[in-house]
Amino acid sequence: MRRHTTSLIALTTVAALGLGLAGCSSDSGGGGDSSTVKLWVRDSQSRFMQQLADAFNESHDTQVEVTLVPAADYVQKFGTAAAGGDAPDVASIDLVYVPYFASVGALTDISDQWNDLPYKDDMSPGHVAQGEYDGGVYSVPFTADVSAMFYNKDLFAAAGLDPETPPATMAEVQAAAEAISATGDGNYGFAFSGACGGCNIFTITPYVWASGGNVLSDDGTEAQLDSPDVTAAMQMYRDMWDAGAMPELVQSDSGSNAGDAFKQGKVGIFNWGTFYIGSLEDEADGAKFDWGLAPIPGAEAGEIGSFAGGDNLTIPAGAENPEGAWEFLEWATGDEAQGVIADNGVMPTRIDLLETLYISKDPRFQVFADALEVGKVPYSVIENELFNDPNGVWSTMIQEAVFGSGSVDDALAKAQEAAQALLDESNE
Amino acid sequence: MSLPAFVLLGMFFIWPLIRTVTMSLHDWPLLGVPEFIGFDNYVKAFRDNQFLGAGAFTIFYTVVITPILLILSFALAFLVRRGTRAHRFFQTIYFLPVVIGLASGSYIWLFMWQSDIGPTTLLLGDLGLLDPRTNYFADFWSAFAIVVTMVTWKVVGLQMLLVLAGIQGIPEDVTEAARIDGANAWQSFWHITVPLLRPTLALVLVFSVDGSLLAFDQFYIMTTGGPAGSTITAVFQIYRTGFVQFDVGYASALSLILMLALGLVSLGQMLLLRNSDNS
Amino acid sequence: MTTTLPATTATLLPDAAEVPRRQPVLPRIAWWAISICLAVLFLYPIGVMLSQVGPDDIAQIFDSSKGLSVVQSAGNSAFVSLVATGVAVLVSTLAGYAFAKLPYRGSRIAFFVTLVTFMVPFQAIITPLYLVLRDIGLQNNLLGVALVIATFNLPLGIFLMRNSFAAIPASLEEAAQIDGASAFSAMWRVMLPVAVPGLVSTALLSFFAAWNEFFAALILITDQSLYTLPVSIGILSADANFQLDFGLMQTGVAVTVIPCVIVYLVLQRYYVAGLLGGALK
Repeated sequence: MRRHTTSLIALTTVAALGLGLAGCSSDSGGGGDSSTVKLWVRDSQSRFMQQLADAFNESHDTQVEVTLVPAADYVQKFGTAAAGGDAPDVASIDLVYVPYFASVGALTDISDQWNDLPYKDDMSPGHVAQGEYDGGVYSVPFTADVSAMFYNKDLFAAAGLDPETPPATMAEVQAAAEAISATGDGNYGFAFSGACGGCNIFTITPYVWASGGNVLSDDGTEAQLDSPDVTAAMQMYRDMWDAGAMPELVQSDSGSNAGDAFKQGKVGIFNWGTFYIGSLEDEADGAKFDWGLAPIPGAEAGEIGSFAGGDNLTIPAGAENPEGAWEFLEWATGDEAQGVIADNGVMPTRIDLLETLYISKDPRFQVFADALEVGKVPYSVIENELFNDPNGVWSTMIQEAVFGSGSVDDALAKAQEAAQALLDESNE
Repeated sequence: MSLPAFVLLGMFFIWPLIRTVTMSLHDWPLLGVPEFIGFDNYVKAFRDNQFLGAGAFTIFYTVVITPILLILSFALAFLVRRGTRAHRFFQTIYFLPVVIGLASGSYIWLFMWQSDIGPTTLLLGDLGLLDPRTNYFADFWSAFAIVVTMVTWKVVGLQMLLVLAGIQGIPEDVTEAARIDGANAWQSFWHITVPLLRPTLALVLVFSVDGSLLAFDQFYIMTTGGPAGSTITAVFQIYRTGFVQFDVGYASALSLILMLALGLVSLGQMLLLRNSDNS
Repeated sequence: MTTTLPATTATLLPDAAEVPRRQPVLPRIAWWAISICLAVLFLYPIGVMLSQVGPDDIAQIFDSSKGLSVVQSAGNSAFVSLVATGVAVLVSTLAGYAFAKLPYRGSRIAFFVTLVTFMVPFQAIITPLYLVLRDIGLQNNLLGVALVIATFNLPLGIFLMRNSFAAIPASLEEAAQIDGASAFSAMWRVMLPVAVPGLVSTALLSFFAAWNEFFAALILITDQSLYTLPVSIGILSADANFQLDFGLMQTGVAVTVIPCVIVYLVLQRYYVAGLLGGALK
C-alpha cells in the first residue's frame, strides 16, 4: 500500500514538473526574429538541405532554420499551417503542387524580383511553367529530378540484345522487355509502381509527351486521358503485363518495391529518376550488375520525353520575413547553392550551369540534362486529386487499364469522364 | 471534481467540434474563401458513392473482425485465466503487442508479407504452403486477411485482459456450486461464467466496434486503400476529402455523419451495458 | 468482491490460484503446447522486427548531420508523454470519482458525452483543432500537443477510474466520512490508494498512446526541434532516394517500440492488475 502511494506521489511530481518545463519549451517555438528565415522542405531533400543552410548562414546575417517534413505528409502539413496563417518564410514545394497553392492565395507573387533575375531564362522550363499562375510568378526553380530509363545491361546481353543500344522507341521497349522475360530465371523485362499515382505521372507520361501527346491541355482545363498517345502507352503496359513481362509486385507497389527489384538485377527496364543513381551506386547494397541510362522514348525514334520533377521555392503568403526569404531564394538559385546541390548528387535547375556543375561529374548525366530541357509537368490546380492520390482518377485508370479485366479503351474513357468532371468543378 | 475534465474536453473537443459543425455548413476549402451553403454537404454525402462505398467496407470490416476478436479474447482468457506463474507469464506475452503503436505494428506486418523479401512469405514458401512470389497485397481477400490478422494480434491482448477482469468479478461460490454439481471447467466456464460476463461483453464490444468503425492507420499504411480502392474505410475517405481534395467543409460533414452513426451504435451498446448492470 | 479488497485488487486473481484443483479440460501437456504455440505466434512479428535491426541502420537513425536529432526528439516525446499521462491521470481520477461516487442530475449524460470523445475520427477534427490551438497560443508547442493527447485519452481514463471507484464498497468511504473528512480528502486518503492499480493502468495506456501518436504531433508542431520521436523516425527512416528501405524502416520502428516494451515489462505487474481492478464491476 505504501508503495502505491509513493508511486502516485512520484507520478504527480513528474506531471507537475512537466507542466513547469512546458514554460521553457514554448519559448523555443517562437521565432519571429527578423533575421531568421524559417524554411520547410520535404525529407527527401534532407541529405543536402542542412549543408545548404549552413553555407548560406556562414555568408549572411540572415539565418535559415530548416524544418524537415515527411514527404508523404508535406501537403497536408503545409496546407493546415497556411490555413492557420502559420506558414514558414520559405517553403520548398514539390513543383506539381505550386499551381494549387498559388491559385488559393497561399503564396506570394514574386514577379518583380523574378524578372530582375539575370538568369531567369536559363532555368528549367518545366519548373518555371509551374510557378506561373494567372499572370503572376509564385516560385523559383530549386532542385531537379527528371525521369529517364534505367536498363540492366547484363539482362540485355543474356537475352541476346545489344547492351549498348538501349530501346529507342516504345515498340523496342516492349520487344526488349518481352525478350528478357522469355529468358526465364525469374527475370522480368519491365517494372513500375502500379499503385503509385505520383510515380506513374513521373514514368508513364514521358512516353505520351515524347510522342507529342499530353494528359491535360496546356492550360490545365481539359483532360486528354483517352487521347491516342495515352492509349498507346497504356496498351504497351497492358501487353507487357499480359505477356508476363512484369513481376507480380508491380500491381500493388506503392512506390518502393519496383526500384528494389531492379536493383537486385531481376528487372530489365525501369523508368525512374535522377535520385535513383544514388541508390544504384550505394557501396553496401547498390546494384551488383552493369546498368545503363537512356532517355524515355516516344513512338518514333528520336523522340524523347521526361517529367521535370523536383522542388520549387516559394514564399508563402503572410511570411514573417519576406525580404529574408527572397534573399535566400535568390542565393539558392545562384552558382554557389546550385553547386552545393550538385555536389550532393542532386540535379540543379540552372540549365546554363549543368555543364560545369553537373555533367562534369559523370558523363552519363548528359541523359538527365537532355531530359530536363524537354521536361514537362501536367499543369493543374488539382494535381493532387487527379494524379497523386493513390486512389484517384489516374491511379484507378492505370489499375483498370493494365491489370483490369475490361479493355484499355473502356478504362481510359471512364477516367477521361471522371477527370473532366473534376476539372470542370474546379474551374467553375 | 469533473471540472478539469470538462475544461479540457470543452477546449480541445467541444470547441473544435463546434468549428467542425460550422465548417460542415460551408463550402470550406482548406485554403481560400469559405461560402455558406447550408446542408448541401450533407445532401451530397448520401449521394456520394465513394463515401457510401467506404462506409459499406467499414461495416464489413467491423462485422468480420468483431466476432473474431470476441471469440479469441474469450478463448485466450479461458486459457490463461488463473493466477499461477505460468498463466501470468503467458498473459504478459499475449498482451505485449498492445503496447506497440498501430502504425508500428502495420509497418512490421507490411514487411512480413512482402512478396519475395518478406520473412513470413519466404518462411511459408519454404514450407510449401504458399508461393512467395505472389503479391498478397494485390488481392482484396489476402490483403484484407493480413490486415485483420495484424489488428487481431495487436488488440486481442487488451480484450483478453478485459475478459479476465470480468471473470475475476464473478463470485467464486457460483462456479464452486457448478463444480460440486459435476461440471468440468469448460462447462462451468461456458454455462456459468460466460452468461455472467454480459457487462464485460458489452465493454469489449464497445472497444472493438468503435475501434473498427474508426479504422484508418492499418489500411492507410498496409494497403493504401488498394487494391483498386477496395479497402478505403470511412475515416480514410474523410482524410482524402480533407487532405487530398482539400475540401474541409465536406470532410467535416462526413465526420459528423460518422460520429452520429458511432454515437448511435455506442448508445445501443451502453444500454446493453446498463441493463446488465441492474441484472 | 471479497472482503480483503485492497490486497485482491493489487494482485492478479489470487483466489483462483488457491482454489483446489478442478478437473482440467485440457491435459497439462496440451495446455502447455497450445500456450507456447500461441506465444510464439504473438512474439514472432516482434522477432521479425528485431531481426532487421542492423548497426548501419542504427547509425543512420542516430546521425544528426541532417539537423534532426533522434535524442532531442526522444526527449520531446518523453516530455509530451509524461505531461499527457500526468494530466490524463489527474483529470480522470477526479472525474472518475465524481461519476462513481457523487452522482448529480445529468451525470449519466455527462458521462456519455465524455465517452463521445472516443468516437471522433481524429483526422477529421485536426484542422479545427489546429485553429483552436493557434487561438490560445499553444500551436507549435509541446504542451499543446500533450494536452490534446491527454484530452483524447480522457474517455478511457475516466471509464477505468469510474469503475475502479465504483468497485469500492461504500462502507469504506463512510468510515472515512465518519472521521469528519470532506469528500475530497476522503477520496485522497482512503479511496485513492485502493484505486492505484486502476490509476497505473490509466497512466500506462495514456503513456503508450502519447508515445505512439504520430498524426497530431506531425500537424500541430511546425519546428523540427520540437518533433516527437514517431515524426522524426518517419523522416530518418525514409531513404532519401524515394526507396523504401525495409531494414531502416524496421530499425526505426524498433527504436519507437523498444522503450514501450521495456516500460510495459517493468510495470506490467501493476498494469495487468490495474486493468483487472479497473474494469471490474
